[in-house]
Amino acid sequence: MNPRTRHALEFVLDNLVWFMLLFVLVVFSIFIPNYFQLGIFANIIEASSVLGVMSIGLALVIIAGHMDLSVESVAALSAMAVGILFCSSGIGLGVQLHPEWLMVPVSLLLALAVGGLIGAFNGYLVVRVKMSAFIITLASYIWVRGLVLVISGGRSAQDLAPAIRWFGIQRLIGLPLTAWITIACFVVFSLIMAKTPFGRHLVMIGGNETATFRAGIRVNRNLIIAFVLAGAIAGLAGWLLAIRTSGATANLGVGLLFNAFAAVVIGGVSLKGGVGTLPGVYAGVLLLSAINTAINLMGLPANFTQVIHGLLVLAAVLLDAFKQTIRQRLA
Amino acid sequence: MSEPLLVLDNVTKNYGAIEALKGISFSIGRGEVVALLGDNGAGKSTLVKIIAGGLEPTSGRMLFEGKEFLARSPAEAKAAGIETVYQDLSLCTNVDVVANFFMGREITRKVLGIPVLDERAMEVVVEKALASAGTRIPSLRTNVEHLSGGQRQAIELNRFVHWGGKLVLLDEPFAALGVEQTRRGLDMIRQVASQGIGVVIITHIMQQAFQVADRIVVIRQGVVAGDVARNKTSPDAVINMITGETLAGAGPGS
Ligand SMILES: Nc1ncnc2c1ncn2[C@@H]1O[C@H](COP(=O)(O)OP(=O)(O)O)[C@@H](O)[C@H]1O
Ligand SMILES: [Mg+2]
Repeated sequence: MNPRTRHALEFVLDNLVWFMLLFVLVVFSIFIPNYFQLGIFANIIEASSVLGVMSIGLALVIIAGHMDLSVESVAALSAMAVGILFCSSGIGLGVQLHPEWLMVPVSLLLALAVGGLIGAFNGYLVVRVKMSAFIITLASYIWVRGLVLVISGGRSAQDLAPAIRWFGIQRLIGLPLTAWITIACFVVFSLIMAKTPFGRHLVMIGGNETATFRAGIRVNRNLIIAFVLAGAIAGLAGWLLAIRTSGATANLGVGLLFNAFAAVVIGGVSLKGGVGTLPGVYAGVLLLSAINTAINLMGLPANFTQVIHGLLVLAAVLLDAFKQTIRQRLA
Repeated sequence: MSEPLLVLDNVTKNYGAIEALKGISFSIGRGEVVALLGDNGAGKSTLVKIIAGGLEPTSGRMLFEGKEFLARSPAEAKAAGIETVYQDLSLCTNVDVVANFFMGREITRKVLGIPVLDERAMEVVVEKALASAGTRIPSLRTNVEHLSGGQRQAIELNRFVHWGGKLVLLDEPFAALGVEQTRRGLDMIRQVASQGIGVVIITHIMQQAFQVADRIVVIRQGVVAGDVARNKTSPDAVINMITGETLAGAGPGS
């Protein structure tokens, strides 16, 4: 094989999920009436902002060779904390701050802190006490959701303070600010992963933890930071979720974990660790969102979405194995 | 002779009930190459890991440059100037050659106060290091998983030569290398030693030990069974020390 074709092939393999996204968009545009309009594309991006942010945190931890199943519940808890404080009806306390805009940083910091704390708790148990990340974060997934039910009494908070909701309403080039926040997160974390020693170390830890430890990298510290980041990012996802629904319900965000998982795997992140990039994950998020939008437009019952997502994850895993074989041939 | 670089004084290590090291004492001088020999399971790798900070000794003490020394982590040992090439290679196969070469010691430049990887600068260094060692690797940007066992081992060897330090520990570094590469590897070791760096090399191949070492230390069942200058012994005598059949003139001491 000449180097040109080889390079081309490697480029396609590295960016496969983007090509899939493009393919899907073209096919839907051709076959589904009303799909091809700017509004739809904006909608795809907008609808995926919460999922997108959550996927970043999950991807970080998986790339570092671990797992965080708690992100969905953490987002719900953060959303509920924001909802209870800054909603004016339901169980909302309607806390007012002056000037009003002060509620934005305060609610955001609250959401990040709630997430970061649970992330630190997960990280401590996994890294220092050396317990299985799967078990620890599964436990967190359950108890944190339980906490949401406890503090809300199963009821909901409505009417989020307008100053905070502004982020979901104000638009910039056709997209609400919440969507821009997601895009900004992807840009920032993609750069961190690709360009900084911290990102490089996470990837290497995911690849061969022993080697990085021997090389003098502070493996435990890096891993705990990854868990804290995943938690804080999930907190941000919760903040966005509260804005999106203008409040919080006890079962807010149920099912997001599996979508995030699907997006991460479809995006090319290997569950073995050490493999995957955040731009790929974003493409995975958009792909899921594009398919959801198509299902909506075609008027299929929403229950189909779940079946299709499941099949997509399966396809992504098979594709990953297939890519591996091709790569081996190329080498 | 000046004070030794590293002194091991009655170092022991138990894995649960297994006494892997029962009291090891010997020393390594600056610029000296010590070949550490012994049968499988004699405790060689365990000893290397203790010096390199990967394992804590059960008892005993070490002096490094005359000072009490105990590395609690590989990072501490590295900071003290001890480089290690482990028996099972320590490469991250999911990243490229450059990333492996600089693992944990990346060159960065500040962008808005944030450290950013300086890929160009690192690539130049790796290119130079590999070229001067005569190692050919098609692309420094290919992931290590696509490289052969020999190429991988060459990366590790070049890595320690580049970083140098004060003491280098090599645990069977040539296992995956061909004849020509091994010869180059042995040259590298002599070259490193000539800069005043102490070298401990573990090998199974008697010929290599005699080619490169100044002194030969034999470990048998967790104790030093022989510690002799290379030019005062013979392969046959060393083999007898390894297997435990004592022979006149080959016993412990020197
Ligand atoms: N992690 C470990 N746990 C228990 N026993 C071990 C461990 N590592 C090595 N040993 C035992 O310690 C002894 C020395 O092993 P090692 O240092 O690897 O020997 P060598 O490198 O000389 O072949 C052997 O009996 C081995 O089985
Ligand atoms: Mg060994």
